[in-house]
Amino acid sequence: MSLRDNAIVAYAETKVMKKSDRDVWVLAGEILESLLDKTGFDKAEIDGLVMSGLTGTGGASMFWAQSTCDMLGLEVGFCEQVHTGGCSAVGAVARAAAAIDAGLCDVALCLYADTHVREHNGRNDRNYRRDWTEPYGLLGPPGAFGLLQRAYDAKYGVDLRALGKLAVTQRNHALLNENACEELRVPITIEDYLNSRMIADPIRLLDCVMLADGAAGLIVTSRKRAKEKGLHKCVIPIGYAERTNFLGGENFVDVTRSGHEIAGRKALAAAGLDVKDIRSFHPYDDFLIAIVIQFEAFGFCKPGRGMAFVRDTDLSYKGTLPMNTGGGQISAGQAACSSHNLIEGVRQLMGEAGPRQVKDTTNALVTGIGWINYGRNWGSSAALALVPNQ
Amino acid sequence: MAVTLNDTLNVKRDIKHYDFGMPFWEATRQQRLVIQYCKTAKKYQHFPRPVSIFTGRRRDIEWREVSGKGTVFSFTIAHRGTPAFQGAEPYAIASVTLDVGVNLIAGVVNCTFDELKVGMKVKPYWHPLANGEHLLMWQPDKDAA
Repeated sequence: MSLRDNAIVAYAETKVMKKSDRDVWVLAGEILESLLDKTGFDKAEIDGLVMSGLTGTGGASMFWAQSTCDMLGLEVGFCEQVHTGGCSAVGAVARAAAAIDAGLCDVALCLYADTHVREHNGRNDRNYRRDWTEPYGLLGPPGAFGLLQRAYDAKYGVDLRALGKLAVTQRNHALLNENACEELRVPITIEDYLNSRMIADPIRLLDCVMLADGAAGLIVTSRKRAKEKGLHKCVIPIGYAERTNFLGGENFVDVTRSGHEIAGRKALAAAGLDVKDIRSFHPYDDFLIAIVIQFEAFGFCKPGRGMAFVRDTDLSYKGTLPMNTGGGQISAGQAACSSHNLIEGVRQLMGEAGPRQVKDTTNALVTGIGWINYGRNWGSSAALALVPNQ
Repeated sequence: MAVTLNDTLNVKRDIKHYDFGMPFWEATRQQRLVIQYCKTAKKYQHFPRPVSIFTGRRRDIEWREVSGKGTVFSFTIAHRGTPAFQGAEPYAIASVTLDVGVNLIAGVVNCTFDELKVGMKVKPYWHPLANGEHLLMWQPDKDAA
């Protein structure tokens, strides 16, 4: 058994809401109901629950996944809470598949539910920040990405119009996505990006994700079980890798390099794909500069050429490299434990993306970025290559 | 438009330390900057860790006093502060490469927006804290070549 012997047989998601009008477990229940309806699985057949721990509502609970089993009436042989930050969405798929391969469960629910705007229950982070950045008022991710983007600018140069193009491309995709946060479904121009107010100079408002509420989920099972169940329309994870604390044993690093160098190489090698073969790309987008750095780290272009790559490439759903065709998190809202780009990749390969459907569904590459380290870029990097069932 | 940067010296700070980083804070009482040094790798590391990040061993760590002179590696201007800093915006935070080869992030004082550049030479500014420790901040080193 290996990763590619497994299948994502269904996806579900709620609309992204600026603030949820219902409890996080109501959203989770809606996802469960939708996935049961789509697959025909009986609730009792679901014997694995893999939840993202990237949730302001539940993440500080040591018993989040178990409590959720209790609330949803699930009895499972594998119960897991993934804590690799924004890598948790793709990480959950890999962990579900590994658990299935190991015989710990047969049918896993990957559940991404969060209402951090409606109900944030605090975080109990224990890290460098209390001594080393909080005394200076460095504002979490925007502050860290401000340092990162200026360092990128000093090394390679930032083309603000290229970043603006990314913002506009993603926004145009959100306009075609009825599940994107309604408040973000307003057209923008490159000038709007350039003129948006500074948050953590050089990071502008339109560089940043906006927190929002919502839930999503996937059912992962073995291909054998999917076939027995008659679930032929499914998506196969054919390559996954993650890297936490890239160059963590070095005291001074090039902050424009990330663990995606390694995660990307490993995931693509497992998939038997060259990066040039990738037909749609769904990079984790907390800030626009992160997309540029990922283009470089995955080898879509050479280091330092990311801005030119953005300028020269049609990244729209109709383009040569469709990117974050659901709007990305920046234009759909950072909801559902940052699983948006993963769900979108799966939906595209199932051919269900409606007005924004990409033509070439040969494969999709989805990524994760998790946590912020001290003066570098991010703590975890992940990559998941997907293909439709053939 | 000229941007005036605030020094944030009036912000109340109550900093909670880890025991393994205490030598750093104790040294600030005398306005001395000490940085962890790995005797085996012969390299510095910052922020303080419970072990050497090079060898994984606690016994390899010692603390060495350094000049505190450095060069701005990157910086950001906070236009939206963290809760304690709201009202003090805009203020600058810089990641500075010390002459011993590690980056150290701290707020910037005595500096205008126009002066602040990547590559600018800086030196420590010691801001007194209520408990007798000092908070390291950066200021332009106008004497540096």
